[in-house]
Amino acid sequence: MPDWESAISQRLGPANLDPVREAEVVEELSQHLDDRYQELRANGVSDAEARRRALEELKDSDLLARELARSARPIAPPSLGTLPESSGYFYGFLHDLKIACRNLRFKPAFSLMVIGMLGLGIAGNAAIFSIFNALFLRPLPFPEAERLIDVDETAPKWNLKYVGTANPDFFQWQKANTTFDGLAFYTNGSANLSDKDSAQRVRAAQVTYTLMDVLGIKPVLGRNFLPEEDRPKATKVVLLGHDLWQRLFQGDRNVLGRTLKLDEETYSIVGVLPREAVIPDQAELWVPLAGDPKDSGGWYLSGIGRLKRGISPEQALADLTRVHKAEIPKGRTVNEITSPILTPLRDRALGDFRTVSRILLGAVSVVLLIACVNVAALMLVRGSMRAKEIAIRTAMGASRGRIIRQLLSEGLVLAVAGGVVGVLVGDLFLRAMVSLMPKDNLPRWITFELDGRFALFCVAITGAAAILFALAPSIQASRVDPRGSLQDNGSRTTLSRAKRATLGAFVVFEVALALLLTISSGLLVQAFRKVLQVDPGFRPEHVLTYRVTLPQATYKKPELANAFFDRLTERLRAVPGVQAVGLATAPPLGGHWGNFFVAEGDKPLGPNEKEPVVLQIVASPGYFDAIGMTFVGGRPFNERDGESKDAPVAIVNESFAKAHWGHASALGKRIRYHDPKSHWMEIIGVTKDEKHYGLDQEMRPSVFMPLRQISRNSLAVVMRGSIDPQSLVAPAREILRQMDPGLPMFAVRTMSEQLNRSLWARRAYSWLFGAFSTIALLMAAAGLYGVVSYAVTQRTQEIGIRMALGARPEQVLRHVLAGGMVLVAIGLSAGLAGALAGGQLLKTMLFGVSPRDPMIYAAVISGVICIGLLANFVPARRAASVDPIRALRFE
Amino acid sequence: MTNQPLDRELKKGSAELLILSLVEQRARHGYEISKLIDSKSGGTLRFQVASLYPLLYRLESRGWIQGRWVEKAGQRRRRYYRLTAQGRQVLIAQRRGWQQFVEAIRRITGIEYA
Repeated sequence: MPDWESAISQRLGPANLDPVREAEVVEELSQHLDDRYQELRANGVSDAEARRRALEELKDSDLLARELARSARPIAPPSLGTLPESSGYFYGFLHDLKIACRNLRFKPAFSLMVIGMLGLGIAGNAAIFSIFNALFLRPLPFPEAERLIDVDETAPKWNLKYVGTANPDFFQWQKANTTFDGLAFYTNGSANLSDKDSAQRVRAAQVTYTLMDVLGIKPVLGRNFLPEEDRPKATKVVLLGHDLWQRLFQGDRNVLGRTLKLDEETYSIVGVLPREAVIPDQAELWVPLAGDPKDSGGWYLSGIGRLKRGISPEQALADLTRVHKAEIPKGRTVNEITSPILTPLRDRALGDFRTVSRILLGAVSVVLLIACVNVAALMLVRGSMRAKEIAIRTAMGASRGRIIRQLLSEGLVLAVAGGVVGVLVGDLFLRAMVSLMPKDNLPRWITFELDGRFALFCVAITGAAAILFALAPSIQASRVDPRGSLQDNGSRTTLSRAKRATLGAFVVFEVALALLLTISSGLLVQAFRKVLQVDPGFRPEHVLTYRVTLPQATYKKPELANAFFDRLTERLRAVPGVQAVGLATAPPLGGHWGNFFVAEGDKPLGPNEKEPVVLQIVASPGYFDAIGMTFVGGRPFNERDGESKDAPVAIVNESFAKAHWGHASALGKRIRYHDPKSHWMEIIGVTKDEKHYGLDQEMRPSVFMPLRQISRNSLAVVMRGSIDPQSLVAPAREILRQMDPGLPMFAVRTMSEQLNRSLWARRAYSWLFGAFSTIALLMAAAGLYGVVSYAVTQRTQEIGIRMALGARPEQVLRHVLAGGMVLVAIGLSAGLAGALAGGQLLKTMLFGVSPRDPMIYAAVISGVICIGLLANFVPARRAASVDPIRALRFE
Repeated sequence: MTNQPLDRELKKGSAELLILSLVEQRARHGYEISKLIDSKSGGTLRFQVASLYPLLYRLESRGWIQGRWVEKAGQRRRRYYRLTAQGRQVLIAQRRGWQQFVEAIRRITGIEYA
């Protein structure tokens, strides 16, 4: 192609144009001459002739220069636009945004890619943040909630962090403390709420009259309990929860003074509590605890206290401990083992969620970081391509600040679009996650809604993303040397060494983060698989469980209760499809009742020796068969076990047997409660440990006792069928109704469903980690591919020269591959170091897998290498197929 | 030689009208405009670079037309000119004036136009 530009520039000389304007005019006129030349050539005119005739267009060049000097054509705004003079700051900002939108519309593929990546990153963050927000940030619905604190007792010696508060302790604490404005105690239970012809189970809490004052809750109707109603044998009164009030009385305001029949006793309604009265969690109605200070029964109370203003939890703990230990010399020796423990309300309610959701938030920020890095790389490359445009603007007098502002506006527009996409998609993520959560596993005050804090987070994260990915390229682009960029013809804007290094660093960073995340998710998924492979120690398939509670008022005598349950078992066994029926106080995942036992011949415990609490389960003869537990020795209970007071029996699990007798057989050995007056019980069977607390939880030693021996009013019914257990619900309900219409059947669940639910958190976070790491890997691969392809495009000419000088395609392929893989290798080592260090954080979430599991590491590393090779191979092959002739012409 | 200045003036007076008319319907680049003038006038009127572009720039500086760089894949970018709203007013007025002028000439000279 002839060089028109020098010919034109020469003739424009006398016009003395501004250099930028001259560059534009030269460009336009060259295009014209080029068109003319091409046309002539197409008509068969020889090259020399066509060239001559095209240049003839420039005759009258003095006229050209003169006319140009005169015509005051303003350089049309390059695509960045100019800021109208004397415009306010706000107008300037709007103007910037308008231009930014216009520029982005011209590059739809680029813009969509950026918005997509950011959207994905922000979506994950928005979703996880909403969960984090709900769990940790949103204030509890009580006035001055920061002064509220959970009060309990702890007993490390019994291997129990929380024992519950004992009746005498709570009275003593309440009386003698000096650091609380109020202390309240409660138990979370349920009651049969019946009328003439139907019954339902409602969650009923027994609470001290102080609870509402401690929480700072006023009834919406009526009044709180009075102190005199919270005493043994006081008149029976009840406070309704808002929901129950609506359900039973449709919100009737004349409900005060009316009565309810709870467990066959009559209670009169004295008030209705507001909806936010959510302690104890899930309660539907409240009755006074009416505790007796002399009753030294077990540790069964939950406690909550309101600290005096200016009192720290540590001071309060010291105060309660002082009160607690002062009781030891007065005869309450058990207080040597137990001591008070105070925990922030939120921590107590959330337990392990704390770590999990923090780690998830960390993981998802990594995803966002990778997205930002990718976008930054894109912007950097694009910034280089726009060097010329920026050079023109700089030459025209645009300040560096002005240019950065413009580029930042573009970043902002992209980030806001990405943010909108992110929040919308994030909302879907959140819904999906929330739908995975069982409703009753979390306190009711945790609600997953979008709120102001969430909006603020999204704005912050979007703004941060905008700055993060626009600032660096902006500064770099605004340092463009106008002269250099203008002389360049615009199609070959190579990156400086510094920029190439930056892009390389981006890729290394991405690979490292993606590796870190993938190893973590590999470990978690492996842990989850290990959990699923755990032998539960019982057979959960085809098992239905539900609870039946006989009211004390009508089934006061043990014989009545036993007779009822015998009859119930018999009738249930007759249902077609039922294979076995059993009863137990606590089937697997059905809760913990602790007790302490001594074995005959046990050595007395040393003062520092632990005495782990034992899970005590009372079971009917058919229970072991129905739940599918296996015996390692001895036999299950039969109908006669426990009938005679003189020959009490018990069954223990392997853990218990091992703790007391090591490898010797436990059969025939005897155990009893701590109380020396209690009877010795002979061990007639040893079961395999069942995973009572969940597949991924430690099993405690446990003791089973026959129902005949200790009668119980509240039992879980376990039905094993040969058919779908759900189909057993209807006949079971009908039988119960026929036997006693006042008895509801509640907590109806299949065993498989319960096992499944118990794993929801582990399943959810393993799944989430998997999803995050997949996204991270994909984005890292995309980033790697983009950077290597770009480098190849930039070096087409160089590669052409190499090939013209004799480089073979496979050498080029190897060269390019090696260049990319060096980045991958550096990233891998950095990520590996991070994973080895960070794996410890996951320790509490792992199960049966070492945080440095070599198999996982090897699998993930080779996976990342494969992905890296693939992302490199495509551009490398393109480089190897470069045609040297064309590459040399490439401009 | 003697008729050259007249020719130039004639062209110049009418040239504005020609260019405005050509970009009335759609935006065109400089070369296209010069080709159209050439072909539509059957070769009678011919603009060369030196006369065409200063004129385009002048029309642009008056705000009658507006130029804009358009990039197409695999090509150099070109500058396309389109008529502005102000240019449209001018075009309407110039057309009317030109018709009156031609009509006047015709009446005097008796030349018939097809």
